[in-house]
Amino acid sequence: MKKILAVICFCSLFLSTQAQDFNFGAITHDDYEFNKKTLDSNANAVVLREFGTATLQLDDATGRLLLMFNYHVKIKIYNKEGFNQANIVIPTYKDDSREELIKNLKASTFNYVDGKFVETVMDKKAVFTENRSKYTSLTKFTLPNIKDGSIIEYSYLLQSPNYFNFKTWEFQSDIPKVSSEYIAYIPGNYNYNVTLRGFNKLNEQKAELSKECLRLNGVTIDCSKMTYNMKNVPAFLEEDYMTAASNFKSAIYFELSDMQMTNGSKQSFTKAWKDVDYELTSDKNFGSHMKRKDVFKDLLPSILKNTTDELSKAQAIYNYIKKQIKWNSYYGKYSEENIKNVLENRSGNAAGINLSLIAALSAADLDAEAVIISTRDNGNVNKLYPIISDFNYVVAKVNIGEKSYLLDATEPLLPFGLLPLRCINDQGRVINLKKPSYWIDLKAAQKSVTNYALNGKLNSDGKIKGTITTTTLGYAAFNKRKEIKKYNSTDEYVEKLDEGLAKLSILKQEILNIDSVDKPLIETYEVEFAAHDGSNQNQLYINPFFINRISKNPFNLNERTYPVDLGAASDERISITISLPENYVVQEKPKDMGLALPSAGGRYLLQTNLTDNNLVLNQVLQFNKAIYAPEEYLYLKEFYSKIIQNQKTDLFLKKAN
Amino acid sequence: MKVLFLFFIFVLSFHTGFAQDNYDAELIPATLRNRANATIRNEETVVDMRSPDNVMYSVKQAITVLNKNGENSARLVLFYDKNTSIKSIKGEIYNEVGKLAGKFSQNDFKDESAVQDFSLFEDSRVKHYLPAVNTYPYTIVYTYEMRYKQNLIIPDWTPKPANDVSVEKSSYTFICKPTDQFRIKTQNLANKAIETVTDKQKTLVWTVNNLAGVKPEPYSPDRENYQTSVKIAPQNFSYFNYKGDYTNWQELGKWEYDNLLKNRKTLLSTTTQTIRDLVKNETTDKEKARKIYQYLQNKTRYISVQIGIGGFQPVTAADVDRLGYGDCKALVNYMQSLLDVAGIESYYCIVQAGSQKKSLDPTYASMNQGNHVILCMPLKGDTTWLECTSQKIPFGFLSDFTDDRYVLACTADGGKLLRTPKLTTSKNLQVSRADLSIDKEGNVTGNLKTMFSGAQYDNHEQIIDKSLTEQQKLLKEAYDIDNINFDKIEYNQKKDIEPELTENLTLNIRNYGSINNGKMFLLLNAFNIKATIPDSKNRTLPVYINRGYTDIDSITYTLPENVIPFIEPNNKEISNEFGSYISRTRLEGNKLTYYRKFVMNDGTFPAESYTAFFKFISDVNTADHLKLVFSLKK
Repeated sequence: MKKILAVICFCSLFLSTQAQDFNFGAITHDDYEFNKKTLDSNANAVVLREFGTATLQLDDATGRLLLMFNYHVKIKIYNKEGFNQANIVIPTYKDDSREELIKNLKASTFNYVDGKFVETVMDKKAVFTENRSKYTSLTKFTLPNIKDGSIIEYSYLLQSPNYFNFKTWEFQSDIPKVSSEYIAYIPGNYNYNVTLRGFNKLNEQKAELSKECLRLNGVTIDCSKMTYNMKNVPAFLEEDYMTAASNFKSAIYFELSDMQMTNGSKQSFTKAWKDVDYELTSDKNFGSHMKRKDVFKDLLPSILKNTTDELSKAQAIYNYIKKQIKWNSYYGKYSEENIKNVLENRSGNAAGINLSLIAALSAADLDAEAVIISTRDNGNVNKLYPIISDFNYVVAKVNIGEKSYLLDATEPLLPFGLLPLRCINDQGRVINLKKPSYWIDLKAAQKSVTNYALNGKLNSDGKIKGTITTTTLGYAAFNKRKEIKKYNSTDEYVEKLDEGLAKLSILKQEILNIDSVDKPLIETYEVEFAAHDGSNQNQLYINPFFINRISKNPFNLNERTYPVDLGAASDERISITISLPENYVVQEKPKDMGLALPSAGGRYLLQTNLTDNNLVLNQVLQFNKAIYAPEEYLYLKEFYSKIIQNQKTDLFLKKAN
Repeated sequence: MKVLFLFFIFVLSFHTGFAQDNYDAELIPATLRNRANATIRNEETVVDMRSPDNVMYSVKQAITVLNKNGENSARLVLFYDKNTSIKSIKGEIYNEVGKLAGKFSQNDFKDESAVQDFSLFEDSRVKHYLPAVNTYPYTIVYTYEMRYKQNLIIPDWTPKPANDVSVEKSSYTFICKPTDQFRIKTQNLANKAIETVTDKQKTLVWTVNNLAGVKPEPYSPDRENYQTSVKIAPQNFSYFNYKGDYTNWQELGKWEYDNLLKNRKTLLSTTTQTIRDLVKNETTDKEKARKIYQYLQNKTRYISVQIGIGGFQPVTAADVDRLGYGDCKALVNYMQSLLDVAGIESYYCIVQAGSQKKSLDPTYASMNQGNHVILCMPLKGDTTWLECTSQKIPFGFLSDFTDDRYVLACTADGGKLLRTPKLTTSKNLQVSRADLSIDKEGNVTGNLKTMFSGAQYDNHEQIIDKSLTEQQKLLKEAYDIDNINFDKIEYNQKKDIEPELTENLTLNIRNYGSINNGKMFLLLNAFNIKATIPDSKNRTLPVYINRGYTDIDSITYTLPENVIPFIEPNNKEISNEFGSYISRTRLEGNKLTYYRKFVMNDGTFPAESYTAFFKFISDVNTADHLKLVFSLKK
């Protein structure tokens, strides 16, 4: 995968044309007639110009610093599909003591009527504030008189007490942009780590000095005026099999690294991993929990009953936590409560549960560490320097002998050592109470494996009666267990399964290891289905791909921009043995084949034989990687296409005379 | 098109406080555990209508969650707004054997806005709570009380909220003054209400016992048509400072017209003039209306605006004139105002919208039916209906969103129930014709032309205005064939009361015919394979097919020279009460023609006929997979 993170250098200090905001309402014919073909002929709307500034200012009333973010945009709407660009929602943060405010909101629609631009100003009453939830308000408005060809323009000031992440700027959105420009005035006593994400390049980036931009405690402070400009930015379009959009969307991110107080002292926020290590391990919502061995002291004897070695101890503790504490569906790298309460209430967020797990493992004298990670939907973390706000989840790592296991006790149906798919995202940082932290790959510890074995007998009426045994491991087993658990009983699950398979009847069933999640899930079904209609006994046409026949190509598009992320490597094997009624000889059969993806990315093998009146088919479908580069998309497409073509062909059997 | 009223009805009815009860899960009878993920042990709902603007609604419910899937039944969800306040909530959690394990109060509830999507609306809110318990079974007991400052809408009582919930015991008590008049609609109740009257109050109590869990069945009628329920509509009501009375649709429609709709039709004078000019050369009302409708579609767009008298009153025509947007109520009211200028009569009609047909109940008038508004123009016997929230829908066409159901027309003369026209099986057409050539490698090139009409008009309608890349993507989903590519995409619309959409595709499919050992395998029905439906064993509910349709496909394949058919094509015909199916194949020289006609009838059929219905669809699916094999001459 291409590196799409880049550090922006602050070193170049040069002066050039002054970037500045554009005038509100100054609509030109060039705006109105902007030819979208120069940018993207598929666009329903285009951002003609977008400009933002962010500064820090002292609020005299409270003596607090506030981030002032001015935003101004002008959008051309081409057709009805683009009308939704005129519906705007601005989310703002609030809590008991502080809130973000939207001020000076101004919006207008411009239509070209009878040779001139007619402005319809949005009514102030048309702005609604919705108190969405405890921490979120939404400012919502829609522009009046939208027609094909309208230009809309709006601007506002966002005033925020949060300046730790300064103000993120997204150069890319769901519609293309002609120009997107952002100026950040960063006071000289504040240091931010700045990260540009995405594939698109900045057209302009400069640093200038802005004198006396902030006055703090009677001291005037100069700012770095950072200008970032991107031109002709394509629309960001999501694709299937893709991780978080934020990994790929062009945007600039900030995180406060340190600040110099006016009294000369310096406060560091994120500097080096050793500082982060110290902060985390001493944090009362993180490290303190890891150390709470006392909570488990009295419980351990009964948990560890019947355990012998370290591995069985770790498994017993993992199972205990999984059973005992219910995940409240919240992520988090910090526990919302101390782990004593978590254990008592039997409920916690991901950190509450996994830090409890670490404490319990440590209490049993096992070598346990924490791994902070960013979940798939949260995007990748910056590796160049620690940005602690990138991480949103924590799991446990236990080291036993030469081996180590990553554990997440939020999902009771996961086996020991397998993280849920949401955690499989690039790398995590291992946090140890005593040693320096380090990176670790977050990969699925097991392949997703499914094996089908069908043993049956073809009768003269064309029906096959036999037994299908399915063995699953890894995520395949996890997903099936989750599905089975949706029903009151396995009987009800199988009934539903049977009803969903229109052409196959399940006569008997047995499912093993539903709750023994460390073992493979084994389903055995006695089944009956038709292989042919029985009308011509002398020659039989049979499509032998009875199980999981592939007829649709999941990669059917002609191009791909972003990597294809399948989550985990997978392995599916099918073996079929059917005994035929009488002496048949094979006239035709689907080609035996062996296909491979480049650089051992995957393979497909098929073999069919008729021996001793037994029809035998063996098939293997493997994907050895979790992530495929965009360039590999067409290989995947062709790989599937070849399989589909082969599976369209039949076996032709003729009765021997 | 979007649904536009928010009604604050509690789908889940909950009840409360029976301290003396034993919640040991073992005590639930086996018959109530079967097919159930949760069991309501006891529920008591009390509606105390103290006065029209003061209705107390209190619920006590004890529900045992039998397994993880029953968890959602333990979630308490309460909507509230300016007119509805939550007076109290509290509850307890009991473990498997019925021992008290914890308590909770209003502070444990999450409080969020209940506004969905992009809706301009301020104050609909929701409080919800789900206990954190992960050992099953457990029992949760809720007690809560709410106060309504209105009695126009009294929540319906539906004691069994879902298929997978069984009910041991549930009761509904309605208390009012002895003099209060009200109408009651009950459904599927074994017992009548027990009535007690004193000087001060009248009390009605309904009780149900032992309602078992059932498994969901495909193709079954709307639950609302058979579930146990009690609905109450007081005659005299109070609502947002309005007072009124009604006993039937006529009176309710009249009240809505007089109080919510009248006097909201004043337009800007320039608009009035524009409309006059627009229609001055048209001779018939229908043509005038068509022009005005076009004006509406160009001028306005739909935005949900849930304000004004609990979401029942449209914003004025003048506002829509100025802003160019509105919700369904506002846009219908605006269209009505424009039609008034041209002297064309029209009715504001409340409808329950959705592809699943649902009528307003002709036998029971109430304010909480319907979720959308459409416009009806009588046009002296040439009744024409207009959907006003879409900028694209053809004039006079309602689509399957509002076809074939009873709607309430609110007119100056009062309410009238009218029925919207039905989109019939024979007119819900998808007719395709393809000319394809196959070469020796199995590659296909050719043309596919499909006409969609009736309820099927919308099948590909949303593809039309999309960008070319987006069209390619959507068509690859619609015709999900490996290696298909569209070289030319063209749409034509006949926008009329009976509209037609024609899609014309030039396409190629690499390796459509699969070659193996000098033989080509060809799936004849390339574009329209009927999917199988799930089986439904031990069926209890009738089979309900909401809407019928007819698909006709013809494909001509031009085969490579000198092919020899290896298996004979076989023709298939099926016909029964659910529909019919014909497929025919003919080979003449190197021209192979395939013809398929599939008709699905709408209707309600007895439960036991599901087996036959299932077989019909399975047989169609099998026949749709007909493959031909050809020998290729070297």
